[in-house]
Amino acid sequence: MAKVRVKTFSVIRDVLGSDVVEIAVDKPETVGGLFDVLLHNYGEPFKEKIWDPNTGEIAAFLIRLNDEMIRSTSDMSKEIKDGDKIALIFPIGGG
Amino acid sequence: MAFKYGGYIGQLLRVNLTNKGITKETLREDWARDFVGGVGLSARIIYEEVKPKIDPLGPENKLVMMTGPVNGTMIPAASRSSFCAKSPYTGSFFHSIFGGFLGPEVKFAGYDGVIIEGQAKAPVYIWIDDDKVQVKDATHLWGKDPFKTQEILRQEIGDEEIHIATIGLAGEQKAPYAMILCDIRAAGRGGMGAVMGSKNLKAIVVRGTGGVTVPNVLKVYNTAIRLNEVLSTNPAVKGLSEYGTPRNVGAMNEAGILPTRNWQTEVFEGMKDITAEVMREKVVKGDRACFACSINCTKYSVVPSGPYKSIINGADYEAIYGFGSCCAVDNIEALCKADELCDHYGIDLISTALSISWAMECFEKGIFTKDDTDGIELKFGNADGMLQMIEKIGKREGFGALLAKGTREASKIVGKDTFRFAIQNKGLEFPGHTPRPFPACAVGYATGPRGGSHHDIRPTPEKTGLVDRKVFEGKGALAAEINHWLILCDSMLLCHLAEAIWGPMKISDDTIEALNVVTGWELNYEKARKIAERQWNMIRCFSAREGFTRENDQLPVRFMEEPVPEGPMKGSYIPKETLERLKNDYFSYRGWDLKTGNPTKEKLIELGLDFAVEDICL
Repeated sequence: MAKVRVKTFSVIRDVLGSDVVEIAVDKPETVGGLFDVLLHNYGEPFKEKIWDPNTGEIAAFLIRLNDEMIRSTSDMSKEIKDGDKIALIFPIGGG
Repeated sequence: MAFKYGGYIGQLLRVNLTNKGITKETLREDWARDFVGGVGLSARIIYEEVKPKIDPLGPENKLVMMTGPVNGTMIPAASRSSFCAKSPYTGSFFHSIFGGFLGPEVKFAGYDGVIIEGQAKAPVYIWIDDDKVQVKDATHLWGKDPFKTQEILRQEIGDEEIHIATIGLAGEQKAPYAMILCDIRAAGRGGMGAVMGSKNLKAIVVRGTGGVTVPNVLKVYNTAIRLNEVLSTNPAVKGLSEYGTPRNVGAMNEAGILPTRNWQTEVFEGMKDITAEVMREKVVKGDRACFACSINCTKYSVVPSGPYKSIINGADYEAIYGFGSCCAVDNIEALCKADELCDHYGIDLISTALSISWAMECFEKGIFTKDDTDGIELKFGNADGMLQMIEKIGKREGFGALLAKGTREASKIVGKDTFRFAIQNKGLEFPGHTPRPFPACAVGYATGPRGGSHHDIRPTPEKTGLVDRKVFEGKGALAAEINHWLILCDSMLLCHLAEAIWGPMKISDDTIEALNVVTGWELNYEKARKIAERQWNMIRCFSAREGFTRENDQLPVRFMEEPVPEGPMKGSYIPKETLERLKNDYFSYRGWDLKTGNPTKEKLIELGLDFAVEDICL
């Protein structure tokens, strides 16, 4: 099991209730596994902030995994480990 | 007689301020079909009517306010309008776009657009009251700030529902980056306010009681309902209603892409005090929406007392970036005051902020001392010094007169290598969206007709990971297709904040559907794309006729020579040779001449722009 610290902003932070939450991710210990846990823990309010009902897919955004930037669209199988810091760079767009 | 296509009024208003001549002209059907409206149509008109190399602040320049066919219908995120002219700030064709209610009101008054030409001898305003149009004396308004001007006009006319575009002191003084305030929204960039001021035109006042005719109301209704549903459920749009554009601040800092201290770095240590969350907790009192828009992105904010007492519609992300992280000021109330002062004087917020952050870096490097800056300790983080300097820029007083020229001109005057950290292209300062880690965004900024505008290119596809930011191949093509969806939207006057449905990679089906249901056209993607390509080439032709070439397509020296020094984007930059390769990629994809960067004869003929061949093709 990997215990990771998840940092979020604005509307997603509002759902999670804090700037940073600690999440325990059991198998698979991957970024995708983390999202499964977040969905389980925070349910529909979290899902509607991050899944697009019109495409049925997760929105495109960058994720900061420690000091590496990865993508929600291609890196869900990326492994995570105990103590990792993960930030969801979302919502974001042009001003 | 009804116009051939739905959504259009079919009539343009022309006001000659030299002789107070007012004429109403039938909109050319072929120009509507080929250039749509808004920016595309304005570009065609200005190319036709404004001679090359004229003084942008002389009577020969024309200021065109244009709507689009979708304006004034129930389609959401489609309320914007455009002011276009030859820019006194960049020397190129410029389109400055604003939201709110003024665009729809012009259509309700019976016009697709207003062409303003000539130069009044004394201050005037234009009063458009449906079909009754007058040029009226504005002597009593000269010297008044935009909101006071609006208040007086509403009282004088006795109608609270009129909509007003007006300039402030900066526009009256023809300050290069003066803006036009349109009710509470700004046509901020490129000095459109200076053009207006050069014509002695203080305000445009509009009241319309008509409507917009579409071929099939039920079809438009159904499209509007569907698009509203998409907007309300799309994750990329969520957050704008609650937090407005500042929703970006925390996430961007975490990603190492929040420009800081005049772009010396892209991580701001004071970020936690200027986030959207802090703003909502401390100053936001309500939301405001544009015509027929369900997003409500504008925040109404109040600082009730103290040195930063202010009431604003904002602050938007660009204020938080420009006066916040770029000037290293971590006080949200001071940022509200800065925003209010820009409106008060009628100056572009981004150019003002970046001129000050440039001066702060000069101060930091010892190039300026208090002797140069009218006694102000112009250090990064000095909120009060920053506010004092905004006032001086607004009045063009003392050291402010230098900064009112913008960073390109100021750095030429100061010398000492300060051009290297003037964050501009073609004279226009950059918004808070970095291109250093994003190659499509970089080439888009460089080749954009306006220069440092995030509305000629969008960082979103690379910034969200829709495409791999680390891949350079194909980024010229991506930039071109982003140009196309943007310019088509700017011709329909759709809001870029709804880019998730109008773009974000290329012209979307939703954009085409909105255009088709309103006009009755049956465009497919290829036809819509061809219109957009024609519009983009039209604007490039204007620049080429003015003497612009690929040499003008640049990035700030800092972006080409200084890698991001810290954070997760550490090491990112766009070396000069990389930019030149990206430009080749972009020009090749567009079918433009690699040496000059201009459209070729073959491309112009293909797009029906034959009339421009002899102007720009050697």
